[in-house]
Amino acid sequence: MPPEAPYLSSRVLRNEDARLLTGRALFVDDVQLPRMLHVAFVRSEYAHGRLVSVDTAAARRRPGVVAVYTADDLGEYLKPGPVLVNPPPIQGHVFHGCTQLPLVKDKVRHVGEPIAMIVAESRYIAEDAIRDVVIEIDPLGVVVDLEKGLAPNAPLIHEHLTSNVAAHVIQKKGDYPEARRRADLIVKRRFHYDRGASGAIENRAVAVEWDAKSEEMTIWDTTQAPIPIRNGLARMLGLLESQVNVIAPFVGGGFGPKIMMFYPEELLLPWAAMQLNRSLKWTEDRQENFFATTQERGQIHDAEMALTKDGRILGVHDVFLFDTGAYDPYGLTIPINSQCTLLGPYDIPSYESEFTAVFTNKTIVTPVRGAGRQHGVFVSERLLDLAAKELGIDRVEIRKRNLLRPDQFPHNHEIMFQDSAPLVYDSGDYLPTLEQAAKLIGYDQFIREEQPRLRAEGKHVGIGVACYVEGTGIGPYEGARVTVEPSGTVRCATGVGTQGQGHFTVFAQLVADALGVSVEDVKVVTGDTREFHWGTGTFASRGAVVAGSACHAAAMAVREKVLDLASRVLNAPKEALELAHGRVSVGGSTDSGIGLGELAGKANPLRGAVRPGTEPGLESTAYFGPDRGSTASGVHAIIVEVDPETATVAVKRYLVVHDCGVIINPLLVEGQIHGGVAHGIGNAFYEQLVYDDQGQLLNASFMDYLLPTATDVPAIETAHRETASPFNPMGLKGVGEAGCIPTGAVFAQAVEDALDGSGVEITEIPLSPNRLFELIDAASRK
Amino acid sequence: MLIRLTVNDVQYERDVEPRLLLSDFIRQELALTGTHVGCEHGVCGACTVLFDGEAVRSCIMFAVQANGHTLRTIEALADPSGALNPLQNAFRNAHGLQCGFCTPGVLMTLTPFLRDNPKPSDAEIREALSANLCRCTGYQHIFEAVKLATRSALP
Amino acid sequence: MNLSGDFTFKGPRATVFEILQDPDVLAKALPGTKTLRTTGADQYEDVMKVSVGPMMAAEFVVKVEVKDKMTPERFSMHIDGKGALGFTKGTARIELREQPGPITLMNYTADIQIGGKIAAVGQRLLESVGKMMTRQALDSLDKELQTRLRTS
Repeated sequence: MPPEAPYLSSRVLRNEDARLLTGRALFVDDVQLPRMLHVAFVRSEYAHGRLVSVDTAAARRRPGVVAVYTADDLGEYLKPGPVLVNPPPIQGHVFHGCTQLPLVKDKVRHVGEPIAMIVAESRYIAEDAIRDVVIEIDPLGVVVDLEKGLAPNAPLIHEHLTSNVAAHVIQKKGDYPEARRRADLIVKRRFHYDRGASGAIENRAVAVEWDAKSEEMTIWDTTQAPIPIRNGLARMLGLLESQVNVIAPFVGGGFGPKIMMFYPEELLLPWAAMQLNRSLKWTEDRQENFFATTQERGQIHDAEMALTKDGRILGVHDVFLFDTGAYDPYGLTIPINSQCTLLGPYDIPSYESEFTAVFTNKTIVTPVRGAGRQHGVFVSERLLDLAAKELGIDRVEIRKRNLLRPDQFPHNHEIMFQDSAPLVYDSGDYLPTLEQAAKLIGYDQFIREEQPRLRAEGKHVGIGVACYVEGTGIGPYEGARVTVEPSGTVRCATGVGTQGQGHFTVFAQLVADALGVSVEDVKVVTGDTREFHWGTGTFASRGAVVAGSACHAAAMAVREKVLDLASRVLNAPKEALELAHGRVSVGGSTDSGIGLGELAGKANPLRGAVRPGTEPGLESTAYFGPDRGSTASGVHAIIVEVDPETATVAVKRYLVVHDCGVIINPLLVEGQIHGGVAHGIGNAFYEQLVYDDQGQLLNASFMDYLLPTATDVPAIETAHRETASPFNPMGLKGVGEAGCIPTGAVFAQAVEDALDGSGVEITEIPLSPNRLFELIDAASRK
Repeated sequence: MLIRLTVNDVQYERDVEPRLLLSDFIRQELALTGTHVGCEHGVCGACTVLFDGEAVRSCIMFAVQANGHTLRTIEALADPSGALNPLQNAFRNAHGLQCGFCTPGVLMTLTPFLRDNPKPSDAEIREALSANLCRCTGYQHIFEAVKLATRSALP
Repeated sequence: MNLSGDFTFKGPRATVFEILQDPDVLAKALPGTKTLRTTGADQYEDVMKVSVGPMMAAEFVVKVEVKDKMTPERFSMHIDGKGALGFTKGTARIELREQPGPITLMNYTADIQIGGKIAAVGQRLLESVGKMMTRQALDSLDKELQTRLRTS
């Protein structure tokens, strides 16, 4: 970065807001194409069964229906989807990759699996035709419970396997049995941690335009990963990659499930468009979203922690079950995240973690904001709390005693992380973060004065402090192309998509700083394979780190070209030149110099000769791939008041101190934290996907699946710390998921503290008022 | 059925099926795609428009119910020149939106609310906002945008 | 879903048992029934319209098979229903005891599984609708019983 970087770390207002605020931003369902037809899907109502027959005759006869397709119509196109993330090379691991077909052929394995696709003149007619399709399914026994799914006589979901085990992984370091022998205290519990739907307000949608004359396909898709979608579809359809354009325009929230690929709809609409030579559009409705879009669900952990009497952790042993749903295209990302994130910011010399991923007759599980980190953090934070209680050590104090010290970085935990590299924390300074959080929430004063005083008044108040470490900014790579146009406007194109993170502003800031232009004069294009077609996508809190670093690198390369050319044009040495306000000047003087736009014109002459080796224009493409991910961290603190009679919990204060390295835009970082915390509050209290024992989802609507509203989310206080990452030039770390990772843990700690003396122990999330009431009631009877 | 209505000061006459949802009519028939659909069961509020000046959820109304009425959608908030109105400006200044999908619905809920309550208390603001679901912002910056808007002059 | 309870018929057990096996009576008594026909010995098919809440109503084709008949004490019904809004499957057990009057005490227990759209969004209403339909059916059957007793 040049010495003057006015936009870095400043609260810049967003470039994209005017369009979004006036309803002029294009979302996929806004796409209208000539002679466009509409698609609806007939989906399984059974969680497990053999598909005996599908009779589409009546549906085809309905006026306005153009085509109805089943698996038999797809021929060679009917193939199981790819395993997207192969398991890391962990020794001795077992993994059965079983992926979904675009339309069910023999067997349905979860409610909502697509059986037939209807193409009609309107969505209304297509949905009418759903009722015309007669489906016969022979129901089979249903697997819903993880432990029952592993029992010897459990119904077999994938019949080529001998059980419902999808994977089995053991990771170890140190010597846990020895740690156990030496320990003064072993704390052991069973924990249940459940998650939920991503709840993006925009449902998924796909629109396709196939032009048989130009042999070009354009797909608008709410995906977080347009480039892999383009490449995969081109291959499957027998087209060149360059014949397929995938555009993710404005996307109304991603949070993870929109990077799952290939969804049946993404595969089938392009295929059908070619069959019919018509444009097509499918938009998911909310109820469909609960079945047809991936989600995250639960884990059951049997975990123990071995400690000395001073509260020093000697080791952790954890055995857990992970619900992967009916298929496992996303590999082991989530449970491996759980394994790794359990270690937290602590120095844990010995660790044994074993998990079994279990197939169930429910929707496919893929990462949702946090991606399994919540589960790991809950286990270690709760074990520490319980140990603190037994040893008579303060909860913040016990954490301090176990934090990794600055001289222990980079810290190699020896076990494997989701990016197939050993888990190494690049940088971090955890003690000041914890101390700052404790100070800002007024921990000492609360414990010593406020809490006893309020308790004497009969109020049940509690405080919680929880720590986490989060691996972010992983590879493989992203790229960007920066171009100065003759108008003086700078264009920056990168392959990742945007779902609200502010890429149009954040990347513009980096480019503007490199080229000395104003941030409004940098137009960023994301998620359009016509503009940029190398890269992977937006996930795992990596956008700013990886794509941002690529934008920065490309802009700095353009800066070099600008200085080279300007040096010749202005007849001055490069060192004397300055870039500011969209102009190159000599020594900052305002009368000499040349505007960047004019310079760009000079770099692309219509006549005359150019020197050999010159590249035209002021444009550069650069790529960035970090050696490994960078480690963000933070501490959340909360004060709650519980009414034991009604089991309602009021949040009095919520505080986040986080370290995401160097910050590009603090305003946007705050927004990410707030959104994450709100999601975490939903997870801790309000959200749960309720399945019955037949695999029927009972709350498939916003009436019964409760997203937190403005009166459910408290005001959130934030403080930043910066420990730069050594793995990218600007020292950035990710922050997209940080807000929701320790929320369940800190809630549980505070609520348990509020109910101290009642015997209530919280080992599960979510903690709805109903459930908390049951726990309070049960404890009172003991 | 033939319906006549005024939307954003323009008069329309259209022949529609009785079961056509008002949200679909606005987005498809009139190509006013600024109004978004998030749930189709009246909970998320993304589809909020003004119906004779009051906020309604267009996804749980039929187009035929709008026959003879006046609607206002998000496209009508900004100045014809494109300049943002003070509420929209406040949202930009306070970073009250991230993905922007819920935003038109939020603005249309707030427009009559602030018209009728120009100086709302913090609790009243949170209460009004609880009508709209947002998954991105955690509501904090939306709340601050409203505070900012109520400090400056409103139309 | 579990539906169980007791009901008192004002009449002798033998007659109660009789009307419970009579398709013409059942067609009139079961709420929402459009047609009910016999498809075999102790087998019926009932086409009924079910409403759950204001915006959810659909036709279900419900196949019923009567089993374990012990005239006039008890019998079971196996139920298999399918419709545009989902499916149901289950078993109901009916027991009848005569008491002085004569009146007949009926005890019923039903274990019904519900799936599909109606289960995904109708949860809060399903149990109350189930209870209401059962209540309505039993009251209708009692009225039929009275008619039969008067005319015999």
